[in-house]
Amino acid sequence: MSGSLQTLSDFLQCLIVGLRLGSVYALVALGYTMVYGIIRLINFAHGDFIMVGGYTLFFTIPAMLAVNDKLPIWLAVIVAIAVCALVGVTVELVAYRPVRKKGTNMTALITAIAMSLFLENLAQAIPAIGPNYKIMRRMFSNKAVLNFLNISLDWTTLLTILIGASVMIGLQLFVKKTKLGRAMRAVSEDKQASVLVGINVNRTIIITFAIGSGLAAVAALMYFAQYSTIMTTSGTMLGLKAFVAAVLGGIGIIPGAMLGGLVIGLVESFTTGYISSSLADAFVFLILIIVLIIKPAGILGKNVGEKV
Amino acid sequence: MMNKNTKLKGYLVNTVALAVLLMAFLILNANFKTPFYSVVFIPSLWQISYLIILAASLNLVLGFLGQLSLGHCGFMAIGAYTAALLSLYFERAGIFTDKKAPVFIVSILVSLLAGGLLAAIVGIIVGIPALRLKGDYLAIITLGFGMIICNVINNLPFAGMEGLSKGSAAASLYKTGLGFGNTLKTKYAWVAIVITILCLAAMFMFIRSRFGRAIESIRDDEIAASASGINVSLYKVGTFVYSAFFAGIAGGLFACCNSSLSTASFAFTNGSILNSTFIVVMVVVGGMGSLTGSMLSAVLMFLLNYVIKNVIKASGMPLFVQNLFKYPMLVYAIVLIIVIMFKPKGILGTREFSLVNTIEYIKGKLGKKAVKEGGSK
Amino acid sequence: MKKTIAMLLAASMVCPLAACGGAKKAPEGGEIKIGTISPNTGAMAVYGEAMVNAYDMAAAEINADGGINGKKVVLVKKDDQMDPTESLNAFNALVAEGVDVVLGAVSSGCTAAITDAANEEEVLLLTPTSTADSITTKDDYVFRTCYADSFQGKIAAKYAKDLGCKEVGVLYCAADTYSKGLYDSFANACKDYGINVVAAESAATMETIEFSNQWAAIKAKGVGFVFAPFYYYTVGPYVVPQARTAGYTGIIMGADGYDSANNYISQGSDLSAWNNVMFTNHYDPADKNPVVKKFVTNYKTKYNDTPNALAALAYDGLYMIKKAMEKAGAEDAKSVRDALADTSTVYKGVTGTFTLDKSGTPVKGATVVEYYYDKANNKVATKLRDVVKKLD
Repeated sequence: MSGSLQTLSDFLQCLIVGLRLGSVYALVALGYTMVYGIIRLINFAHGDFIMVGGYTLFFTIPAMLAVNDKLPIWLAVIVAIAVCALVGVTVELVAYRPVRKKGTNMTALITAIAMSLFLENLAQAIPAIGPNYKIMRRMFSNKAVLNFLNISLDWTTLLTILIGASVMIGLQLFVKKTKLGRAMRAVSEDKQASVLVGINVNRTIIITFAIGSGLAAVAALMYFAQYSTIMTTSGTMLGLKAFVAAVLGGIGIIPGAMLGGLVIGLVESFTTGYISSSLADAFVFLILIIVLIIKPAGILGKNVGEKV
Repeated sequence: MMNKNTKLKGYLVNTVALAVLLMAFLILNANFKTPFYSVVFIPSLWQISYLIILAASLNLVLGFLGQLSLGHCGFMAIGAYTAALLSLYFERAGIFTDKKAPVFIVSILVSLLAGGLLAAIVGIIVGIPALRLKGDYLAIITLGFGMIICNVINNLPFAGMEGLSKGSAAASLYKTGLGFGNTLKTKYAWVAIVITILCLAAMFMFIRSRFGRAIESIRDDEIAASASGINVSLYKVGTFVYSAFFAGIAGGLFACCNSSLSTASFAFTNGSILNSTFIVVMVVVGGMGSLTGSMLSAVLMFLLNYVIKNVIKASGMPLFVQNLFKYPMLVYAIVLIIVIMFKPKGILGTREFSLVNTIEYIKGKLGKKAVKEGGSK
Repeated sequence: MKKTIAMLLAASMVCPLAACGGAKKAPEGGEIKIGTISPNTGAMAVYGEAMVNAYDMAAAEINADGGINGKKVVLVKKDDQMDPTESLNAFNALVAEGVDVVLGAVSSGCTAAITDAANEEEVLLLTPTSTADSITTKDDYVFRTCYADSFQGKIAAKYAKDLGCKEVGVLYCAADTYSKGLYDSFANACKDYGINVVAAESAATMETIEFSNQWAAIKAKGVGFVFAPFYYYTVGPYVVPQARTAGYTGIIMGADGYDSANNYISQGSDLSAWNNVMFTNHYDPADKNPVVKKFVTNYKTKYNDTPNALAALAYDGLYMIKKAMEKAGAEDAKSVRDALADTSTVYKGVTGTFTLDKSGTPVKGATVVEYYYDKANNKVATKLRDVVKKLD
């Protein structure tokens, strides 16, 4: 239906839109891949952690400004990180761990689905939240940083990319260099063996959950700074996209999650712009499928033959 | 020889039991005419029948083949739209004019079969590339295909309002040629039951066959299976296609009990329990690798959803409970988590409920005394 | 053991199911049971909330005023989470409870799922908000309070014609019944008026948040009028601002989904984007008509919120039932149906004064409301642009 975009400025437009979406996906996928890489659980509730983070920001920002209106708004993210980490750890302790002990991977997946349903409906049952959309107040200046051919790169997008990149580098260093990070990698490779070498598996998983959920709060900050409507189901699609991004980049590979997120954002934007806007979803997934068929372990994943 | 006898006996006992049940139902259907029966019981029966087929067919892929598919409802959508459009075509072409005429039954069966076949064909197209991948990668690909199918159906120029002629499917297929009301649902309740039984029988025969044993060995160890001469990709795609066929049939039944269709009903998640996520939930709750488990859990999940939403009146209970029941899906989620915690392997695990074994079990209990007296058998 | 538990579980679920059955009987002891179906929880709960509020308010008013035919109105509310299958289940459950009159469902997709059942069970179905054309097509048990999509789409097309546009664009959602239905009726009306739809862009879902590329493509076609049927929660923060950012400066026309979109504008966005935005609506909350004024004030006091169009339609829906029941002097479905089928009855409601046509759709005008940037108060305000009574 589309295909009417020809000029350079249209191309740039698609690029910017793709970066805007992709940078958010990437940030979400980074938090997602932390948990995902270690316990191999498609954590359907991760999107809902973002929702929790969003509502925490929504309520803390006015409270914070009431105390002192000189404080920078983004400071509220600290509260959000704490709340999200708490929710994440609680979910792990109350639901995931008991199930992981007794059941299989699939049982854990079902628990995640149930948890997601639970969080969404619980949020709606809280009178202060309710079913209505809320509009988040502006968190960053909406000035353009770069202007070229009437197409502008906004400050929030740039910031999201920068935060995404620093989170990526930070996580990478953490996982590769610190003792805890090495423990995480060990747990993800072989739980039994890591117990043998003296790693406290449960503690490691809890810390992973805390970090992953805390990152959900950071993602919430940048997502709602960019797209200001918040709803109890705001995180569902986002969580799904993050899952797709994490797998596309290669499961458990931190730079892969970032790359996967950006690729999905760009593909989404360029398909709506250049191929078809009504069939955009189909094309996005088609491209995804083609990529996965060519590279079955994700873009950055290595194809490891199965040991016999 | 002994084994074969037990098997034969099993088939006989099951057939007799089913025949008795069906007869009982037909008698009930002819005589029992309260509003509750036709307005609540029968529509529930229809919904349960397509949920059972759907859950059992996904179990073939998820439980027996061991591959996670997150787009099963996509095949159901294909079946539903095919059956609806085809029956609408029959109606327009004058093949049946009265929905009570015998020729209508033939149209229903043809439509359902066509729905199943088209779903199976799409299953081949999806399965060949998708099943080269494993685990979470496969999950994503099937998820993607599920979404593509719905997206494409929405954009079909011939599946719209008036069916086959005007508009695209997104604007809802308002009148399907099938689309039974409560009277027709009651009249044709036996169709739903017979089709469910036939589908389940076909699936049972599948897993009891050489084919079934082969795919279970693939699930348990793919490399060992391939080393013992099993063509892994062929068996994988075959199972996927077989499962898609039944999902298509389930879609046809869905088209029968709804006078309107929209792709939102077959999405990845939505407000009801009919979506690709919840079908997975049904299979796991029932027990991966147990067809009877899938049947049981489809029934339980339907009842749970229905009872929370439409039956329970919390007015007499404390305010806390009342508020909880204002959010049916919240209650649903809590019940689901509790069930999973106490039954992490599913209600039946990998065991099958079997009439013969139950009879033997009861016999054994009753006959204990006799055994004591008369010595060993 | 495990089987016993499973059996018990199953039994405990079936028992209440069986208990809810019972013969259909007329309300007795001075009560009239009226069923409502709306999405009270789930992703679309916001619609249900407004409508349930309005139903409650109308029922309380009616009961305080002596009820209907001296009987008290009791609402039986069902939640369908905006899923057609659940709507049908809810409807059947209401029928089993012996309800004769049902208000609902909210979306056209859900209502379409229950219209056949309403006719078959001979239960009166009045949908306050389902605008799809095919909801009421014949003389039967189905009625509605709102006008149909073809009317809204036609008004939009007529505006384009009156403004002298020869080429127009559309931005819609191909996967959504509401948006696609409006697009179809708009496109058909355009054909009749000799207007070309040169750009038709679509979004993946109604919850899409990024429309920049679609707007860029529309702008590239050089049209001055775009019909964009979306809901307020994307219109406010995304559809309109992104259009202007992408450089589209022409008219954006919407339908009743634009109602209250100006409460959802992101902070700090350019408010002048809202000039040249208009939409068809069911009523105007700022209307000076005493009926409207009373409704808006009462709703505001009770729920601390300005009632949206859905609330107004729901409120009118219950009053329509009241009027029909009083006219019939009875409360059973058949009598109410016959009373509503009388096309001469005039209903005076918040959403206008109207009669019903043969199919059961109101013959009433649509208000065309325009958004504009109110510089003095630095906010986006609405003004009544037109009331379209009839179209040729």
